[in-house]
Amino acid sequence: MIARTLERHRPLLWLTAREVLRVMKLWTQTVAAPVVSAFLFILVFGLSLGGRIRHIDGVDYKAFIVPGLVVMAMVQAAYSNNSSSVFQARFDRYIHDVLAAPMRNWQVNLGLSLGGAVRALLIGLCLLALAVPVTGVPVHQPLELCLAVALALALFSSLGLVVGIYAENFDHHMFVNNIVILPLTFLGGVFYSVNRLPSPWHELSHANPIFYLVQAVRYGFLGTADVPVGLALGVTAALAAAVVGWSAWLFGTGRRLKA
Amino acid sequence: MSDSSENGRGRSPETPGGGRDPALALAALTKRYDDGVLALDEFDLTIEAGSFFGLLGPNGAGKTTLISAVCNLIRITGGQIRVFGEPHSTMLARRWIGLAEQDVNLDRFLDVRETLLYHGGYYGLTRAEAQRRAREMMDVFDLSAKAGTRAPKLSGGMRRRLLLARALMHEPRLVILDEPTASVDFELRLELWRYIRRLHGAGTTILLTTHYLEEAEELCEEIALIRGGRLIARDTAAGLREAYEADSLADVYVKAMGTG
Repeated sequence: MIARTLERHRPLLWLTAREVLRVMKLWTQTVAAPVVSAFLFILVFGLSLGGRIRHIDGVDYKAFIVPGLVVMAMVQAAYSNNSSSVFQARFDRYIHDVLAAPMRNWQVNLGLSLGGAVRALLIGLCLLALAVPVTGVPVHQPLELCLAVALALALFSSLGLVVGIYAENFDHHMFVNNIVILPLTFLGGVFYSVNRLPSPWHELSHANPIFYLVQAVRYGFLGTADVPVGLALGVTAALAAAVVGWSAWLFGTGRRLKA
Repeated sequence: MSDSSENGRGRSPETPGGGRDPALALAALTKRYDDGVLALDEFDLTIEAGSFFGLLGPNGAGKTTLISAVCNLIRITGGQIRVFGEPHSTMLARRWIGLAEQDVNLDRFLDVRETLLYHGGYYGLTRAEAQRRAREMMDVFDLSAKAGTRAPKLSGGMRRRLLLARALMHEPRLVILDEPTASVDFELRLELWRYIRRLHGAGTTILLTTHYLEEAEELCEEIALIRGGRLIARDTAAGLREAYEADSLADVYVKAMGTG
């Protein structure tokens, strides 16, 4: 049964392996750099501001910022990995080798998607390994944390594919990362509790979709968040479903991938 | 269809579609691009299994569009494509096609060995099968010394060899070569001709596009001339010369394309 399933999905496994190989060949850029960068945020903000802001919602500030910074590093990695991988494959046309192969559209979609997810997980695990001893951040709700991370990876891996498929040049991929994802993540309560913001910033923060993802992950770690965890997971799941659907539609119809 | 046949590895390629079907059958194939350009217009073509078929035409005639349509790289507007009797989009038909494109489209992150291995994997080979076949291909195409070199660091000639080796990795029955000798020196061109002839001698159907008329005359058993997305003529080189009352294939080309 397992052997038959593996044989049936062998091309998918090879495509996934290729995407992971790309991540590992470029590990200094794809894994080490984001880990160092996020860990510096934890050290600099946690240790410097931690002296002035002792606690937020009863949580030590050093630990408070860890969930948001971990998820920020992970979603940026998932997004940028897949958008650059697909864009390069389209630009150099070696994506033809995959599109012509005996693979179902969903297998191509999933295989390309998993590279970003694996990279993000590696970054998340490395960051946890560094951050837990330094900050003492706990994991209070592992189930919710796993669910939130899975939704985040689905959402941003697929978003990367979508942007990689639509991008006409490398600037487009950078634009979405720098002008959309990064600001929304910073404004999503990574460094603060939005409940402390005055009106209208408090209300505006609730219109930021990434705010809900940060809250879901924070709940998983700390057991506390600015909104109910059900709402945070629900909004993230709805976003993930929409973007995964968009990606599936592009691969299913061949739009933008095939002239 | 059995599970294993989904990637084309469950049925013998020696008897594709029952053995009698043409290697390629295009019926009323039409492709209009999003910008309105009509690249192929109700195009009909049949290529018998085991033949060596040449496709000649000027730039923009529709040759690459035709190849891209057969290989599922573009969305066709209308018509039908069958490969050894199977609709071209099925996993089985895809498995039977090997494509070496005009552009050198090699994965920049992979070295020579990995390029071949991963291609084999995409076509359903096990790791052991892919490793064995990659070794064979590297031997045949004199790539063994460059096994660990990434594609962007290869010379132009080596890249061409690798493209051809990649197209043959999964032992396709129909090999499509889109201007395989473009921008290569004369020596390598002769070498590639020898490879291609050997391949055809082993029973593989070859569809070749080229701008070198002498190449088409030297290699192809039958030649089709296309212009503006339409088939103008098809015959043997001798038959075309006779039909166009020309001394050479170059004269045939000039007359057929109206470029004289």
